[in-house]
Amino acid sequence: MIREGIQEALKLLLRLDEAVIDAATRSLWVSIVAVVSASALGIATGLLLARKSFAGRSAVVVMFRVGMSVPTVLIGLLCYGLLSRRGALGEFELLYTTWAIVLGEFFLALPIVVTLTHGAISRLDRRVFETARTLGAGTVQRSMTYLREVRLAIMLAVLTAFSRCFTELGIAMMVGGNITGRTRTLTTATALETARGEFASGVAMSLILLTIALLVTLVMALLSRGSEETEL
Amino acid sequence: MKSSAESATRPAITLSNLTVTKGEQIICQIRNATIARGSTVGITGPNGSGKSTLMRVLAGLETDYLGNCDVAFALSDRVFVHQSPYLFRGTVLANVEYGLRARSVSKPARRQLAELWMARFSIEHLAGRSVSSLSGGEGRRTALARACVLEPALLLLDEPLADLDTAGTECVLAALHELSESTILISSPNPLAKELAPQLIQIGQ
Repeated sequence: MIREGIQEALKLLLRLDEAVIDAATRSLWVSIVAVVSASALGIATGLLLARKSFAGRSAVVVMFRVGMSVPTVLIGLLCYGLLSRRGALGEFELLYTTWAIVLGEFFLALPIVVTLTHGAISRLDRRVFETARTLGAGTVQRSMTYLREVRLAIMLAVLTAFSRCFTELGIAMMVGGNITGRTRTLTTATALETARGEFASGVAMSLILLTIALLVTLVMALLSRGSEETEL
Repeated sequence: MKSSAESATRPAITLSNLTVTKGEQIICQIRNATIARGSTVGITGPNGSGKSTLMRVLAGLETDYLGNCDVAFALSDRVFVHQSPYLFRGTVLANVEYGLRARSVSKPARRQLAELWMARFSIEHLAGRSVSSLSGGEGRRTALARACVLEPALLLLDEPLADLDTAGTECVLAALHELSESTILISSPNPLAKELAPQLIQIGQ
């Protein structure tokens, strides 16, 4: 059955099946927008948490750490509450749109980027901070220096967040609604097709998911190796 | 308010009863010391006598101390070079230009100054090289050029001659002579040559 499914899946992929391509491009678009925006805020927050002392800093760090392991269905549930008609953002009518999935995945990616950036900068050699300071660098130049010193760790954080967003199901299902041509992503489509008994379509979607996830993992492995070599 | 004449004659550094502790242990102690402006002073003493700690206090990197430490220059006019310097990722040139960029020196002036100081430290041929491919001595000279190019009022060098061969030491000696306006402190576990540091302060005795 699996072999037949793979054969059928390859046929669907080779003839660029419209439903499959539509779900794949939507998945990519949603994940990229969510991760780019979460990275912009997350890298700055991670840097701030690593370098600025303030009351409650440890609590905030722990909160983001815990946020990394929050199940996607819970994030989906919270976003649902936020976006539903009576929710705080209900007036924007975003529920069951791709923007709702973007918002949910943003909350999924943010703790990953914040925690990994914070960890990388906190582990930097003390001399990095002291050298930048003694050479007279201002806040912006110092921040850019720290980020450059940990740029590989940050790239890994961003790729990890992308990987997590691209393969998640809970958020897309709960706030996207799996609407054909509007909010269907690769993961929701895979779940639906398999439930409907369309095994080949399900396998085709999974193959794309798997290929992109493998590509991301490969890039992460290459970056990690590059990072180790540079540090030697 | 002090008059400008008075502040001009004020010593570069005045220390009295300076004590730095780590937990219960005293890691640096100096009863009295005065260092004149524009002088080059060697700070000698055995390993663990507190030379690096003194340098860090003077650089403003260590603020937890007892006693009096009066430095006549603003923090932005003091530059400290670690015993084992850290070079930022990138090229030798980018490192040498780092502090000039912080001081918003224009690109042509920055390049000119960086080239001048790289030549003084005989590393001009390494300008485009990544710092990860430098030897210990080349890295040290890069760090020294990065500090000297700023011509700071107070230059604090923590064991700058480690890793350097005879040619490297002579090179540093000649380069430091170019900084006639700066007050320079050089720490070393061994006695320093008179031509490098005419005045010596021994600590940890």
